[in-house]
Amino acid sequence: MVETHDDLRPLYRIMLVLGLVSVVILASGFALLLRFAPPGQHSGYRAHITGVYAYDPATASITGSAMTRFHRDQPFAATVDWGNLPAGMLVSARWTDSLDDDVGSTQPTPVAAGRLAGENALVPVRASREFGTNLPGPYTLTVVRYARGQPVELLATARVTVLRDP
Amino acid sequence: MIQQAAYRRRWRPTRYWLAAMIAAALFVVLVLSSVASLAIGPVPLRATLFGLPGVGFVIAATFFALRALHDHEPGIRLRDATRAAALFVVGIFLWLAVVDVYTFTQEAGPGVATACAIACVPTTAIGLLVIRRFDRNEKEPWRLVLVAALWGAVISTSLVVWAEGLWDLVFTATLVPGPAADTSAAYSAGIFEELAKGTAVVLLYLVMRDEVDDVVDGIVYGAAVGLGFNFMESVSYMTHQYAILAPVGLGAAGAAGQWYFRQVVGLFFGHATFTALIGAGIGIARQMPLISQRLLVTASGFLAAIAAHFAWDAWQAFVLVGSSSTQLLVANARYVLVIGPFAAVVLLLLVMGQHVEGRALRRHLEVEAAGGLGAVLPYEVALLMSPWQRFQARLAALGRGGPGAYLGLARLQRAQLHLAMERWHRERREIDQPLAAEEALRQHVLELRG
Repeated sequence: MVETHDDLRPLYRIMLVLGLVSVVILASGFALLLRFAPPGQHSGYRAHITGVYAYDPATASITGSAMTRFHRDQPFAATVDWGNLPAGMLVSARWTDSLDDDVGSTQPTPVAAGRLAGENALVPVRASREFGTNLPGPYTLTVVRYARGQPVELLATARVTVLRDP
Repeated sequence: MIQQAAYRRRWRPTRYWLAAMIAAALFVVLVLSSVASLAIGPVPLRATLFGLPGVGFVIAATFFALRALHDHEPGIRLRDATRAAALFVVGIFLWLAVVDVYTFTQEAGPGVATACAIACVPTTAIGLLVIRRFDRNEKEPWRLVLVAALWGAVISTSLVVWAEGLWDLVFTATLVPGPAADTSAAYSAGIFEELAKGTAVVLLYLVMRDEVDDVVDGIVYGAAVGLGFNFMESVSYMTHQYAILAPVGLGAAGAAGQWYFRQVVGLFFGHATFTALIGAGIGIARQMPLISQRLLVTASGFLAAIAAHFAWDAWQAFVLVGSSSTQLLVANARYVLVIGPFAAVVLLLLVMGQHVEGRALRRHLEVEAAGGLGAVLPYEVALLMSPWQRFQARLAALGRGGPGAYLGLARLQRAQLHLAMERWHRERREIDQPLAAEEALRQHVLELRG
C-alpha cells in the first residue's frame, strides 16, 4: 500500500490558512461596522417626518396634501418636525433615489436641529441635472444624528415612489 | 453499472440521510418562501397560473410515491419511488423558476427580461465550458454540471431573497446609511448567498460522491453553481437598471453596463470564484482521512467564500468618488483588487489539484498496464494523460471509422481514466469495496475495447 496522504497536505494547509485569513477579514468587517455604527449611541429621540408633499422650487414651498407617489416631473419635498429634537442636536436629512444616489439633503451637513426648526427647513429632492426629471422607483429619506463628525444614529426614514409614467 | 459496482460504501446510508435532512429543511424554507411570496409579496395570480405545470409535476410525484408505498414488489417500488423523486424535483424547479423570474424581472416586463436572459446565455455557456475544461483528466458529466448551474440560478436565488429581506428589515434598515449599512448588507449577501450556493455542492457531494473525486471536481461544481447564480442575478440587475433608466432613454445602456460588469469582467471574478472556494473545501474534504479534517476544511471553504463575497460587497462603501472615467477605472480595478487574490488561490488549488490527480492517475495507469490485464496497454498511458493526445487519437478514430469510432474511443478513454481514479481512491482507502468495483470497471473497459 502506497501512503499518499501527504500529497494533499499542502492543499489542506492552504485551505486552512485561507479560512484563518477569512476569519480576519470578517472580524475586520465587524470592527468597521462598530466604527461607523458605534454601540451606545441610542439617544432615545425619534425624528417625526410629517409628510412628503409636492414642491414648488420657485417659491421653495410645498403644496397640497401629503403623498407617497409622485410623477417623474413632479418635484417633492419632505417636512420634518425639527422642533421635536433638542435644538443643539446635530442632524442631517438626505434623499436617495432608486440608484442609491444622493438627490437632496439639508444644508450644511450636519446642522443643528434648532436652526432647521427656526428656518422651517424642508428637504426637497433636486431633479437630476442630467435627465431633467426624477428617475422612477423608490426614494428614501433618512434623518440621522451626528456625533464627533460622523453620523451615528438613524432617527427616522420615509419612502415614496416615483412612478415610471411622467 | 459503474456506480452500482464501485460505490456501495458503508457511509452511503449516513450520507443519504444527511442529504435527505438538508433537502427536507430546504424544502420547508422554500415552501415558506413561496407562501410568503403569495401572501405578502407582489406575485400576482397570473404568475401562480404559470406555476401550474410545477404543481402538476408535484401531483404526479405524489401519485407515484403513493403507488410505491402500496407496491410489494421491490423492483416496482424502487421504480415508482425514483419516478416520484424525479417528478418532485422537476416540479419544485419549475415552480421556483416561475417565482424567481417574476420576482427578479417584474420591473421591466417579460420582453426585456427575455432579452436580458438571452444576452446572458452565451457568456454563461462559455463560462461553463471553460470550467468544465479545468478538469483535464476526467471531465464531469454535463448533466451534473448543468444541474449545479440550475441550482445556483433557481434554488439558491429563491433561498436568499427572503433571508436577505429579513436581515435588511431587522439589521440594515436600523443602521445609519453609508459604511455601516453597506457593511451589514455585505454580511447578509456573503452569508446567505454563499450558504445557499454551497448547499448545492454539499448535496452533490453527499448524493453523488462518486462524481466528486477531489479538489478539481469540487472547484468545477462550485464554479458551476456560481455561474448559475450569476446568470439569474445578472438578469435581475439588468432588468432593474433598464426599468429605472428607460424613461430617460438610457435603459439599454444601463442594462448593457450591467451585462458587461456581470457577464464579462465578473463572469469568473465573482460568484464563480466564491462558490469555487466552497467546492475546493469540499473536494479536499472528500480525500481527508479524519472527520475532523473534513469538517475543518469544509468550514474553511465556506468561510473563504463568505469573506470573499463580504469583501466584494463591503468595498462599495469606500469606492472613490470622482469623474465618471475614474469611477469606471475603479469599477474595473475592483474586480482585480478584491476578487483577484481569491481567484488566484482558486487557480493555485486547481493547479495543485490537477498535479496531484495527474500524478496519481499516471501511476495507477502504469500499474494497471504493467499488470497485463488488458484494460490499459503500456503505450496508452502517455496518451491518456494528455488531453491533447486523447483528442488527437479520437480525431484519428473519426477519420478511420466515423463518428461511431470517435464516440467509442471517447467512452473507452473515459472508462480507463475511471478505472485509474477508482484505483487511486482504493489506494487512499476512500472506498469500501474496491476490489469488486475495480474488477467491474476493468470488465467494462474490456467490453468497450471489444
